Amino acid sequence: MRRTILTDGSGRRALVICAAVLALVPLAAGPYFVAVMVNVGLYSTVTLGLVLLMGFAGQVSLGQGVFFGLGAYGYGILTTQYGVSPWAALLVAAVVAGAVAAGVGRVVLRLRGLIIAGVTLTVNLIFYYLCVNVSDLTGGATGMALIPRLPSGELMSHSLFTYYLVWAVGILLLMFSLNLVKSRVGRALRAMNALSGGSEDTAQVLGVNIMRYKVEVFTVAAIYAGIAGGIYAQYTSCIEPGAFGVEFSVRVAIMAIVGGLGNPWGAFLGAGLMVGLTQFLQEVMPVIVGGPTGAYELVAYGVILVATLLFMPQGLVSVCGKLERRARMLVKSRRSCQAGENSSV
Amino acid sequence: MSEKGTGNIRKQPVLETKHVSMAYGGLVAVNRVSFVARKGDIVAVIGANGAGKTTLLRLISGLLTATEGEIWFKRQRVDGMAPHRIAALGITQLFQDVQLFLNMSVVDNVMVGCHVWAGGGFLSTGLRLARARAEESRMMERAMSQLSLVGLEEKASASPASLSWGEQKLLGMARALAAEPELLLLDEPYGGLMTGEIEKLSLLLLDVQHQGVTILMVEHLTDVVMGIANQVIVLHYGEKIAEGTPAEIQGNEQVIATYLGTEPGQGASG
Repeated sequence: MRRTILTDGSGRRALVICAAVLALVPLAAGPYFVAVMVNVGLYSTVTLGLVLLMGFAGQVSLGQGVFFGLGAYGYGILTTQYGVSPWAALLVAAVVAGAVAAGVGRVVLRLRGLIIAGVTLTVNLIFYYLCVNVSDLTGGATGMALIPRLPSGELMSHSLFTYYLVWAVGILLLMFSLNLVKSRVGRALRAMNALSGGSEDTAQVLGVNIMRYKVEVFTVAAIYAGIAGGIYAQYTSCIEPGAFGVEFSVRVAIMAIVGGLGNPWGAFLGAGLMVGLTQFLQEVMPVIVGGPTGAYELVAYGVILVATLLFMPQGLVSVCGKLERRARMLVKSRRSCQAGENSSV
Repeated sequence: MSEKGTGNIRKQPVLETKHVSMAYGGLVAVNRVSFVARKGDIVAVIGANGAGKTTLLRLISGLLTATEGEIWFKRQRVDGMAPHRIAALGITQLFQDVQLFLNMSVVDNVMVGCHVWAGGGFLSTGLRLARARAEESRMMERAMSQLSLVGLEEKASASPASLSWGEQKLLGMARALAAEPELLLLDEPYGGLMTGEIEKLSLLLLDVQHQGVTILMVEHLTDVVMGIANQVIVLHYGEKIAEGTPAEIQGNEQVIATYLGTEPGQGASG
């Protein structure tokens, strides 16, 4: 099992490189690119939780929109209706998302296999209709507006502040996840993952409390989504139920599959590709080909998902690993050639 | 009392089943089976296909819940308990098809075996706290020593899928032993092994026995069983028809008629 920059040690080298690049990006990029990267960061954080849940524990969820929504609505309601400070609201909203997930998980995760996907999707639908109908709290179909922002100071714009916040959170959660998957907990999750070479029965007779781990990883994934939801709410200052519907959950699941379910880095690759592609299709394609904005997205998502499943079932992250190995081999062979030439001279 | 495990009288009972039954609707897979396994013994359960041997193991490990009767392990009633709690008490099972985790390396497979005694939850491992790092080192050390015991330390970072069937069986043993069990449940451990591998596994089982681990195994290779076990239990259509030392079982007329099919003293197979 060869190691690459994405899988060596705890992935520290790759993390440092990424953090440095992300810190410098806004110096060279304009506000539009920063806004796109905020979206990538938000999606990456939600997808990261889903990679742990789906890729490592084998529990397919199509309901991450619920927890993203709980984070966003939690933040919005706490700050606008209860006067809670934005930072505290961000924290409490994520905890609320986790607590709801722990409750839902105890019931839903008793089921097995793809039925869980159907039930979580149904929970997402219920959440959507609750958001629309409990209008006293949520603002109904029109949603909530004038949600207070996190104090960003005067050094940078709010957009840039959110960019640094979301990526700092994303990198920290990635570090946490990388540590997790290489630990006793990560092995327990993989051991019970019947979708990918594990076995629940075997894990149990070796002492793994599978129900506890399922609920805990479901909760962790919800907290990730809740944090992202809170940041999203303070970033946009207005939220509406449509942003947290089934379409969001399906999009996140596609990002996880396309990026690669077997590696936390896959979440970032998948989110980066899909958000980038969405922007391209929404902005450029209507100009080149014509037609309304957003007409090509769903077709492209479908094509990419099918292509991924057919040609790189382990996702983009596996392709990156292969490219890196080839590059290393190339460098190595060149060095040995040079050494040979030098010795002959 | 026993030819091989001398001093059974002094040995403490580790496992006791009392009239254990398992019925699937009208089909009774295990019918009021009672027996005692003592510390450090190798107890073999033999019988034809469908005799209820595997069901009996799954009842003891908690993967199935008995419809009748009681199962006691070290003076604690375990029937109805969740499998992971039973594992924490000291019972580990190795399945007939081994069921290695193909989504992780050889050493990681064995480290899953350490899960039951090691510590570390989401927070401590995610934050790589000192305690979690120390536990990880302990698990790695233990896993490597188990791999070395079965001769697979060179293949620690390989994928389990790349191992031969015999090596996979040994890896399954290493994983089960990493859990440091007091009672090891083995479902046809010799199944599919070549002669040399059978001898290697027998030596390993005797070594494990000498460490005080009780082994309860289901096996079809009766000649191997008779050579290694202290106690043999014969099941026939879910019922226990005989129990005793290998010599007693080989001389039991009912067992010969229903299962062994050879004359006493002649040995038997499969």
